[in-house]
Amino acid sequence: MAQSGTASELSLPSALMLLAPLTLLMLAILVYPLALTVWTSVYPGQFSLQAYTELLSSTLFLKVLKNTFEISLSGTLVSLLVGYPVAMHLAAQPPSRRTAYLIMVMLPFWTSILVKSFALAAVFGNQGLVNQLLGFVSGGQINLPMMFNRVGVILGMINFLLPFMILSILGSLLAQDRTLILAAETMGAKPLRIFWKITLPLSLPGVVAGVLINITLSIGMYITPALLGGRQDMMVANLVDFYTRQTLDWTAASATAVVLLLISGLLVALLGKVRGASGLSGAVA
Amino acid sequence: MTVTPMTVTPAPASAPVAEGDRAMVELQGVTKRYGEVDALKRVDLTIRKGEFVTLLGPSGSGKSTLLNLIAGMITPSSGRIVIDGRDATTLPTNQRGLGMVFQNYALMPHMTVFENIAFPLQVRHLPKDEIKRKVEQVLDLIQLGHVAGRRPRELSGGQQQRISLARCIVYNPALILMDEPLGALDKNLREQMQLEIKRLHADLGITMLYVTHDQDEALTMSDRIVLMNGGKIEQQGKPDELYFKPATVFSAEFIGSSNLIPGIVEAGGVSGLSLRTAIGTFPVPAADFAVSTGDKAMLLVRPENMTLTGGPGVTSVSGRIDDSILLGGVVRHFVRCKDQSTIIVQELNQPDRPIAKRGDEVRAGWPPAHARLLPPSVPH
Repeated sequence: MAQSGTASELSLPSALMLLAPLTLLMLAILVYPLALTVWTSVYPGQFSLQAYTELLSSTLFLKVLKNTFEISLSGTLVSLLVGYPVAMHLAAQPPSRRTAYLIMVMLPFWTSILVKSFALAAVFGNQGLVNQLLGFVSGGQINLPMMFNRVGVILGMINFLLPFMILSILGSLLAQDRTLILAAETMGAKPLRIFWKITLPLSLPGVVAGVLINITLSIGMYITPALLGGRQDMMVANLVDFYTRQTLDWTAASATAVVLLLISGLLVALLGKVRGASGLSGAVA
Repeated sequence: MTVTPMTVTPAPASAPVAEGDRAMVELQGVTKRYGEVDALKRVDLTIRKGEFVTLLGPSGSGKSTLLNLIAGMITPSSGRIVIDGRDATTLPTNQRGLGMVFQNYALMPHMTVFENIAFPLQVRHLPKDEIKRKVEQVLDLIQLGHVAGRRPRELSGGQQQRISLARCIVYNPALILMDEPLGALDKNLREQMQLEIKRLHADLGITMLYVTHDQDEALTMSDRIVLMNGGKIEQQGKPDELYFKPATVFSAEFIGSSNLIPGIVEAGGVSGLSLRTAIGTFPVPAADFAVSTGDKAMLLVRPENMTLTGGPGVTSVSGRIDDSILLGGVVRHFVRCKDQSTIIVQELNQPDRPIAKRGDEVRAGWPPAHARLLPPSVPH
């Protein structure tokens, strides 16, 4: 042990005792259900991987998987395009004002995702505020279908994803040395070049982290596509729900859940890699 | 000016070569106010082409504010800034055609050394092969050609600062601004870099404006030192002038060490003036400022202009050795006068010098011509 202080070191029994409550809790509410899910997926009476082979050859599953990737990637992309300018604006503020603005960025977290989904439906629905305004302006000519379709899912999704994107980009923008911009300006560089050659490349670790967090979060989304999407916008989590409650095929439901978990796990692992690598590229994620 | 009949086109309004044509930077009555505080108070300053000017002063004296105004990172509250004959008072930084060296080097961490130096050339849309040629040339000039492919963080502080200098030199700006560029380096490296920057200045003839709070650095490098105090220019001149002819108590205390003895001006002495002080009345050389008998004034004698040995024509004051310390080539004596004030005497160290002991009665003397009369210090 490198540490010389004895006070900071615990004997094995007391360490175990301190860890025991949480360990038990995690075993009960995380490990056991997870193990049960895996077990259910491979043991419908006897050991079999049939659920997985069926799943991978099922048109429904492949279509839903494709949906899931499409929705989370496009949601993430929108969140990136909307979030980056916000993060840049925040980074340019004096610290006191930035704090106030950050509270506004975090505001969506204060409301349950269910309430937010209904609120979005009220704003973007066929008779919602936006369409009423559009109808008023255009004399009833324009009515954009923005709910219960792909647009609705993505709107609901970025509402949830944006803070994660903004915060992780903001982190790597704030870590940038301001004198780099000053130096570039004295050398005659214009703002656009400074953005493409300096600000953006130095913020890439934050962008990659934000993108991975967004994909990871959105890939398992359930309520948003269920409430704001149409029949075509089913995602993997909704499929799990479908197998569980509609067809009562728990083996298929479990197998689907395990596949979803593996995909998310893979993304989280990737995320860890990027964070670890960010030190090399000159900025902190 | 007469227009000769030979001129076919209307005569251009070319005045005789005025001071303005040789000026790189002109500040005219520049003030910078932050809320209630004046960081800079009606400063006038001209920097000539090819000159190496140092802004010297304690922190908060306005030297960095002045530099940032010239760089265009801030705009003056009032006054005018002319750079290379062009009004630049509100010109954006990226159109001023300057170079700047920062204390923290400000190299782009995601670019190699080559890419860093190529950056200002890419901004200027130079062809690729010319960029390559110029970057290699300047890397040779600073003898760092072998690190072209490395990233800044793989280099030492001194190397990084040389790269940052190279990045300025490569696009040949009319003026290079340096904001305490050697502040982060250790002493030996700093002295080495001072000489290197001086050499580059002599070789390239680029006008340089250098900010430092280090008087030795200012004395070593500058053609001219501009001493700043409380948002104003306290005094400016060649290093020699500032050292030997400080105009104020602040100048005398900031540059070099000094013995300052307050007193009242009286008639007498060779120049017609002498100063009555608590430790005696001393003849003083003629003053640079208006002074008449009865005025308060300050007598300045540099420690190295004093001796303990005395001699003909030397003014002296008696005292007791408080301490005597050896600084290598010189010995510094602290002499306690009868009014308990301390006078510092600095002598060259000789193998056969008499060793001064604590409590020894001595006479600290100086040639009256080496003393200097200063106006009493006025609070800013």
